Parts: sequence; C-alpha cells; structure tokens
Amino acid sequence: MKVTTLDALRSWLDTVVGEYDVVAPRDVDGHVLYRPVATSGEIVFSYERPELSVKDYLLPATEVLLRVEKRGGEVTVEENLADRGQVIFGVRPCDAHGPATIDALFLEQEPPDTYYSHHRARTVLIGMACPQLWEGCFCTSVGGAPDDATHLDVLLRRVDGGFAVDTVTEKGAKLIAGLCVEERDGAPDAPTTEGEAVPVMPPDAWRPLFGDNIWMRHGERCLSCRICTYVCPTCRCFDVADRVVEQGAGITRIERIRVWDACTSTNYRRAAGGHNSRPTKPVRLRNRSFCKFRYYPEDYGPLGCVGCGRCIVSCPVDIDITEVLQDVAERSGR
Amino acid sequence: MLVNEALAQQVRDQARELLEGGRVDCVIGYETGPRGGARPAFIYDAADVTRLIWNQACVHNLVTYLHDKKKPPRRGEQPPRVAVVAKPCDSRAVNVLLAEGQIERERVFVIGVTCEGLEDEEGAALPRCLRCADRVPVVYDVLLGEPPEVSPVEDGYGDLAGVEEMGASERLAFWLREFDRCIRCYACRQVCPGCYCTTCMFERDDGLWIDIGIEVSQKHLFHLGRALHLAGRCVECDECERVCPMDIPLSLLNRRLTREMEELYGHRAGREEVLTPLLFELGEEGSPI
Ligand code: SF4
Ligand code: SF4
Ligand code: SF4
Ligand code: SF4
Ligand code: SF4
Repeated sequence: MKVTTLDALRSWLDTVVGEYDVVAPRDVDGHVLYRPVATSGEIVFSYERPELSVKDYLLPATEVLLRVEKRGGEVTVEENLADRGQVIFGVRPCDAHGPATIDALFLEQEPPDTYYSHHRARTVLIGMACPQLWEGCFCTSVGGAPDDATHLDVLLRRVDGGFAVDTVTEKGAKLIAGLCVEERDGAPDAPTTEGEAVPVMPPDAWRPLFGDNIWMRHGERCLSCRICTYVCPTCRCFDVADRVVEQGAGITRIERIRVWDACTSTNYRRAAGGHNSRPTKPVRLRNRSFCKFRYYPEDYGPLGCVGCGRCIVSCPVDIDITEVLQDVAERSGR
Repeated sequence: MLVNEALAQQVRDQARELLEGGRVDCVIGYETGPRGGARPAFIYDAADVTRLIWNQACVHNLVTYLHDKKKPPRRGEQPPRVAVVAKPCDSRAVNVLLAEGQIERERVFVIGVTCEGLEDEEGAALPRCLRCADRVPVVYDVLLGEPPEVSPVEDGYGDLAGVEEMGASERLAFWLREFDRCIRCYACRQVCPGCYCTTCMFERDDGLWIDIGIEVSQKHLFHLGRALHLAGRCVECDECERVCPMDIPLSLLNRRLTREMEELYGHRAGREEVLTPLLFELGEEGSPI
C-alpha cells in the first residue's frame, strides 16, 4: 500500500489551496461541517460524520445562476459559473454516493443541469474512510460501506502513522501527483460494521402500502421542518426565484437564484388559490419515503438514500427511516 | 434517569379511561423511541395505552400538536377531541392558545403532570428546569402526581448575563456568528406552540419581507422577527433551542424579551389565560383602537 504521513498531507493541502477552492471538515463552533478552508491548519482530520453532507458545494443551498443588468434600454445577462477547480477533502464514502445519486437525474437525463454539471466537472472528491459505522449509519444496507471507494477520486484510510492512499480515478491521480507517499507492506484494517442489516424492499413492494397506516403512525409527530431534507446527501428539490439587488439611476440589477426546497415543509405543494395537495404531515412523510425507495429508483435507477443516518440522528421527534423500512418490510410480508 | 413508574401508570390509566369512555378521540403523550429516548405518541385505541411512558426524557412540548387537531380529519366531520399530557411549562402554552382563541376549551382535555425537572441525554438537568418556578401545571382537567418538594427559585435571568455584558457591536458579532450556522430548517418555528400563523411573515417562500436566499442578513431578520412576535407569548419551554440542529442559543433571544415583558408589564406568558400586553383586540367600546 501507498502511505502518506499527516505532515506530508498537510503540506500538500497547503499547495492545493492556492490553486483550487478547497472544502474540508472544519470545527465550526463545536459542529464538524464541510466548509471552505484557506490553510490545512483549519482542517480536522479526526471526526465522525460531518453534520451536513457535501451537497452544498455541488448544489448550493443558495446559488446565483444568472446576473441580469438593465441599463437604460440595454439588457445584459451573465451566467454565474465558477472558474476555479474545487477539491473536497475528507469526504465520507456515503457523501460520494450522494452526488452519484443526484447525477442520475441532473446529469444523465436530458437536458443535463448546467450549473450542477459545472460543479461536478470542476470538483475532485478526496475520501476519508470511516473506521466504523457511526450512530444511525446504515450504508452497508444500501450498497455502500465505510471504506467504499466507489464514486470517490481518491480514498484515504487511516493506518499507523498516516493514511493509506488509494487512487481511484484519473482525475484523482492527477491531483495527488505532488503528494509524498511511500510504499509499505500490509493493508489498512477493515472497518467494523456490526449491527443489524436494515431491510430495503424493492420499489414494487411499496405500491400497495400507499394507503397503509404506517404513514400516520410515523408522520403524525413530524414537525414539518426541513432538517431531514437539508441534511440529506440526496434530497435535491429546489426552487428558483428572481430578486432585485439594486435599483436606481437608470440601472436595475437582478439575480436569478436557486435555493434548496423541502418536500417535508408545509407549503411545498401549495398551488395558486391556496390548494395544497399534500396538506398533512403523514402524507408528506410518505412522499419523502416513497421518493427515496420507489419513485427515484423506478424513474432514474439509484435508491434515493445512501444510508448516512443523518436524518435519523437530527430529527427532533425521532422519526427514523430505518424504522419505516422495517415496517415496510414487515407489512409487505416478504 | 428518574423513571416515575407510578406516575406513568396514572397517565396510562387516565388515557384508558378517556378513550374507553369516549371522552376523547386521541391522547397525545410520550412513548419510547427506537434509540431509548422519549418521543411524542398519538394514542387512538385504549389497547395502545401501554405504549405511554413518563420519565425525565419527556422534554417535548406536546401542546404544539393541538394546532394539527383544529381541523376535522374529513370534511363535514367534527374536529377530534384531544387529551394532551402537559408538564407545568407546557401547560402555560395551553393558556396562551386559549387566550388567543386557538383551541376550544371543551375539545381539549389537559392531563396535567407535576414535574421534578427533566434531563438531557447526558443526564444533566435542563437549564429551564433549574430555574423553574412552576412545578405544577397552571391549567388542567386532571392533575397527576404529587407537587414535588423543590425549593422555589427566583429567576435571576443569570443565563442572559453573558450577552448583556457585551457591548452593542460585540453582541451583534456574536449573534451574526450564531446565525451564520443556521440552515433555516425552520424547526424552531415549527415546534413552537406560539408559531401557528398560516403564512409566517418570515417564511422564505413568501418573499414579501424576507428573501428566499439564505444569506445571514435574512436569517438575522427571521430570528429577531420571530423573537419579537413571541414577546409575552413565549412560555420558555426551550423547544426551539432543543430542536435546533445547529445549537443556536435561541432561548437567549426569547428570554431577553421575557424579562422585558416582566419588568414593563409584570407579565409572564401563560401563567394566566391572558393575551400578551403587546397584542390588543380591535373592538368598539373600551378598546384602544
Ligand atoms: S421527519 Fe423529523 S426532521 Fe423531517 S420534517 Fe419531520 S420532524 Fe423535521
Ligand atoms: S434519507 Fe436519511 S439516511 Fe438516507 S441518505 Fe438521506 S439523510 Fe441519509
Ligand atoms: S454511512 Fe457509512 S460511509 Fe457514511 S459516515 Fe456512516 S459509516 Fe461512513
Ligand atoms: S432550528 Fe436552528 S438551524 Fe433551524 S431555522 Fe431555527 S435556528 Fe436555524
Ligand atoms: S419560542 Fe421557543 S421557548 Fe418560546 S414557546 Fe416557542 S418553542 Fe417554546
């Protein structure tokens, strides 16, 4: 195996920040979050699962798509596309499965999403394997693993005195060409993956359960907040709005922005005239679950859940998607 | 963790009696969640009352769910009659909602429970419990449990000292740093019994007062606006702070206004069934407007 030391990794990262936008796990007032960093000193190398996924850097919570300027009779429209490359460091394996899931809709369907594909193309994902499953994690039940290299460009795994380096893609190889590594015997320890497998029923098993009381039982205590959708690496609903940012003296500047939306929120389905076709918490929770395990896989291929467990640990009223999955399995009697 | 099994049994018995006697359609209480903590439970069938628990992890303010029960489940039917398990702090929210005409007294059965104080997941007493002067619900249809023997505390607003010592610019910097972490999930608003406007003025989807973009200026406006709308209405249940995934110390904002309301008007939300002095009714005779 190829091994690098923490010091070598740090000095290499300090060269990368000059050339790329670098995002890495950072301790933000006690919360480990993927955040932009200016030096390797800001990065935490020992962490569990960052509380939010890397989604924000590929499909930002708020992104300016277009800048429109009207000067007298003249209108100019400018597309906002970042020109630097982006490196996301310390990506947990499930967080690489997240964008791969979104790709099935945003890249592989026609027409591809301009802004998302731009971020995807400019981004290199450097993974950091998990030594174990953290609270709520069930990646191993949905096609992932704590040390899964799929969908990453480089995978790092902790070994004595440093990190084992696995190059996964061409893009990754190019990026880490300057990283100091040495050849060593042995292999990294396998992660511990104890815990019961969560049963995941195929999409067609869900159909008869649309009217089941599972949704009332779990959904009635839901708060209709947006935590579960915002922390989720695969939830990708968005909204688009125009806003005036400057107006006066013959000049108007407008931005077209895209922001995250959440199907769990009260007014997600509100239409003109006030009609809401998903008026209650249980039907909204049902939609989120069906989206992940029936609609998305049926329509685009991958499951809409990578098993990161974030929604489970962050729901304030203990709505647990693995409990829903257990109930679905039980009800469908397979 | 203190598990008051006798009190839990009383809650179950009460729930059974109410459901079997047809007095209510649903009992909102607590059950054990998949990872051992407590979580809200909705019981419709007397056979399910065994799910109900009572212990020091029962932190949620269940009064907030009464808003979901204001409408009939199907058109043409009556709204359900609901019983709700209410701790002393939660019961103050019942008074707020009654005063504001949000719930009908005869449709809600309040199962009041006395409270010895709650604990967080690590077993530490909750800050609001350390300063709690209530201990017995302020409104109930039945009172379960003995009033605990705890020496009455004077709320000195010690929690506010840190921010109040800061100068204005330092304080602004403190709050902007906190708000910067906010992901605008609106959980704080959604959980709050006092936040029930059909369209929140600070809802990003509405766009009249607030921008849909998640810039810190927008979050700043949301938080200050929400706190102001709760002045004299916040019952200090600290649910907003508990549910916040980013640990934003919202109680410091709310309690600043609680203190202001107490000093200016001698008003503490929900202790009695009265409106906040900052709200008034439009009327004819005798009304300020
Ligand atoms: S499931 Fe939990 S996190 Fe998701 S909207 Fe409901 S209360 Fe919020
Ligand atoms: S649904 Fe929950 S567990 Fe699945 S990917 Fe989303 S946040 Fe993670
Ligand atoms: S779900 Fe798997 S890959 Fe993701 S943080 Fe947990 S153990 Fe790591
Ligand atoms: S719960 Fe916390 S993160 Fe969510 S909107 Fe409120 S303050 Fe922001
Ligand atoms: S503002 Fe917070 S503490 Fe006050 S009533 Fe609402 S949820 Fe409870």
